[in-house]
Amino acid sequence: MSEQRLHLRVNGQAYELTIPADRFLLDVLRDDLELLGTKEACDEGECGACTVLVDGRAVDSCIFLALQADGADVRTVEGLAVAGQLDPLQRAFIDEGAVQCGYCTAGMLMSAKALLDENPDPDESQIRAALEGNLCRCTGYDAIIRAVKAASGGRS
Amino acid sequence: MSAVIAVPQVGLIGQSTVRRDGVAKVTGQFAYGVDVRLPGMLHAKIRRSDIPHGLLRRVDVSRALALPGVRAVITGDELPEYRASRYIRDELILAKGSVRYKGEPIAVVAADDPEIAAEAVRLIDVEYEPLPVLSDPEQAAQPGAPLIHPEWQTYWANPVLRRDGNILNHTTLLRGDVEEAFAQARHVFEDEYDTQIVHQASLEGHVAIASVDLEGRVHVVSSHQFPYGLRQDIADILHLPLGRIHVTASGLGGGFGAKLYASVEPLCVLLAERTGRPVKIELSREEELAATSPRMAARVHLRTGVDSDGHLLVRQGVIYYDAGAYSLSSPGTSAVGTLMLPGPYRWQALQIDSYSVYTNKTNCGSYRAPGGPQATFAGESQIDRIARELGFDPIEFRDRNAVENGDLGPAGQVLTGVSLRKTLQVAKERSRWPQAQDRPSRPGVRRGRGVACNWWTTTSGASAAVIKLNDDGSIVLSVGATEIGTGAVSAGLVQICAHEMGVAVESVQIVSADTDATPYDFGAQGSRTTFQNGQAIIRAARDLRQQIFALVAPGLDCETDELEVHDGHVYRRDGTGRAVPLAEVARLGQTVGGLLGRGSFTAPPTPYDPSTVKGHTYPAFNSPSFHTHVAEVEVDTETGEVTLTGYHVAQDVGFALNPLYAAGQVTGGATQGIGYALMEEVQYRDGTVLNPNFTDYKLPTIRDVPTIDVALVEEPSEAGPYGMKGVGEPAVVAPAAAIANAVYDAVGVRIRSLPITAEKVLQALRSRELEG
Repeated sequence: MSEQRLHLRVNGQAYELTIPADRFLLDVLRDDLELLGTKEACDEGECGACTVLVDGRAVDSCIFLALQADGADVRTVEGLAVAGQLDPLQRAFIDEGAVQCGYCTAGMLMSAKALLDENPDPDESQIRAALEGNLCRCTGYDAIIRAVKAASGGRS
Repeated sequence: MSAVIAVPQVGLIGQSTVRRDGVAKVTGQFAYGVDVRLPGMLHAKIRRSDIPHGLLRRVDVSRALALPGVRAVITGDELPEYRASRYIRDELILAKGSVRYKGEPIAVVAADDPEIAAEAVRLIDVEYEPLPVLSDPEQAAQPGAPLIHPEWQTYWANPVLRRDGNILNHTTLLRGDVEEAFAQARHVFEDEYDTQIVHQASLEGHVAIASVDLEGRVHVVSSHQFPYGLRQDIADILHLPLGRIHVTASGLGGGFGAKLYASVEPLCVLLAERTGRPVKIELSREEELAATSPRMAARVHLRTGVDSDGHLLVRQGVIYYDAGAYSLSSPGTSAVGTLMLPGPYRWQALQIDSYSVYTNKTNCGSYRAPGGPQATFAGESQIDRIARELGFDPIEFRDRNAVENGDLGPAGQVLTGVSLRKTLQVAKERSRWPQAQDRPSRPGVRRGRGVACNWWTTTSGASAAVIKLNDDGSIVLSVGATEIGTGAVSAGLVQICAHEMGVAVESVQIVSADTDATPYDFGAQGSRTTFQNGQAIIRAARDLRQQIFALVAPGLDCETDELEVHDGHVYRRDGTGRAVPLAEVARLGQTVGGLLGRGSFTAPPTPYDPSTVKGHTYPAFNSPSFHTHVAEVEVDTETGEVTLTGYHVAQDVGFALNPLYAAGQVTGGATQGIGYALMEEVQYRDGTVLNPNFTDYKLPTIRDVPTIDVALVEEPSEAGPYGMKGVGEPAVVAPAAAIANAVYDAVGVRIRSLPITAEKVLQALRSRELEG
């Protein structure tokens, strides 16, 4: 497999690496950049645990070729808190009991972040639509829906 | 949406304090097993059997060994008899001579990276001589069936078990005169039910890393629910001295019972010893679904006699649980079925025979409330049928037959803390039963509502706690308990410790799940963590308070029993004298060698009637809890599709220590139960799993599950901290029956096999039309 240059920004930090062309973004994040917050659970884009934002769009990084992110801004769970201040979504996930084992949490947060960035005041059906690609095996989904509503200001 | 039906409490208990690991989990800093990386670490992969049953003719690893980057290859043939499992030592950690399920480990490879290890696994040549495949546990249990373990009599086994050929355990529960009771019965109902294999599907699978230090000590970090059990397993399997093994649990990405026994860890240890380097094994999703320990399938034959007034008289049942190829926990969990099939009702007579049986499938194991969901689907589906056919409202019928305090449980235990009627009442109110239901959302759709009940246990087993007072008055709590994700350790135990020591939760640091550094705990299993550890902490805190009071009393000119501690200070109860900060006490304590409280607890065994059972490893439920679920569905009569439109749970938790996280357990458990009811199934054909991935193994998504209405009912237990009962498991038990009963209410067909797919409903509707 041919090696290629990859330029990307992750959580505001610029990186330049040489990677095999078939390397997935998840492996670049976890193994090359040692950003371990993004998780793998199914390895085929079914569970959403590996969700990150690429130029603001939520993608399954386990099936997203790293080279597709060349030149892009990538945001992972490590980039949600700014200057030690938790994002309102992070705070709400804790407060509403939306975190149990927490293995799906990074992906849930990033999908929810993409939603709120586009629609700051989603109703319940919009939240369900935005998170339908994210499996949670511990909490069920009620606490997660409550958390997204709370972070959005809960106006709906 | 949740509510606590409760008495208010003073202090931190009963408050929804926030879990300690929350910030690490939402910022991506929390370290799970998959995140553990050690310098010089090798990666291992397992060569697994390609066929479900056969003799191993040849295992050739020469091509794998020759691959650059491969550091070690181990096969079963080069190992002594390293046998696993706690009930029956029937499983070699690497097969030799034969394989009994597709996916059974044959060899293991350690290499510089996972890709090389995977390539090496592909280069291992295996030749087999296939043998017939047994798939059906009822057929495998019949006399004359081919034996999956021809040498079964040579295995060490727990002496309580009643084994015979392919039968791992035959448990019998017999109480009263069954024949006489059937003779008295006015109505007799007879049905057969089937349940499927489903998987825990924790999002993090099995993952472990082992290393050996210069003194020859073995260090294992594993995503595991029971570090002390794992240490014992490794010692037993590999014949190592216990003291040479050090186990810590990494952060866990779920478990649900899948991570209670040794699985990949002994292989990691062998490879680490062989190579002198740390070795990590991380199973793929395919390996998880096809070759780790899911919930047993079961077939249930059930016959129930009822008198002319709608009183249950007698129940006779036979359960065949599908254990798969090796024992794990199956001989014990199949016995639990004998307590669950009768349900929480009064009976004159009972005869339940439960079998766990070998088949050529992956070893089944423990999954949340093991043994319970299968039996309850059968038992509660039939109770519903009886109620309907005799003209009773299903809630009224259950209420009429409900157990009460002082009644006998199935094996003769005297029941206490009984709350079934209360949960029925609460569920009835919250679901507005039996008022008219909302109109269907569209034409061609019918609405229905179903109820199901169950009881469940709070598993005992020892726990211990050590509480240390730091010089600044803060506290370190040390417990062997494992945070599986529920919040039991990171919130519940911290909360109890802070409450008992009169400090803020922020003043308590917790150390847990380490066999060198923390005291014993029987593991994150059986809804037991907060219950057993909580009592240990209460005792340790009492011990520490006594030491503190003994130091302070002379200065305050009083006796120790005139003192109390709260807000981080020691006070005289009568309000006189000064408040002594805990930091000051701690410094005083240094002069006597520091202050350390110790406590341990194991719930006393619940008495039962031993003459009622044979082959039983779990004949009584400790501090039992009681539950009512109501499901609301829409059924599309054109497609057979079932949509869950509403769900209510009234769960008796004894005392809601932390209502937010208690309700979280109920919601999560019910959601797994909904998956079991409607979509989940590990599909086997002739010993091969057809759907070992999340594309084809359907888990409930956010679109499949409606808001779950949770009511926490509080009927205190005698043995639990503040009256608590176990919370984690039981909500998974009743959903399948509640949903099946709702489908009947909607369209008048009884689905007796899980999952309740659109195909099954449509087929039932069509065959009824043909008959009609």
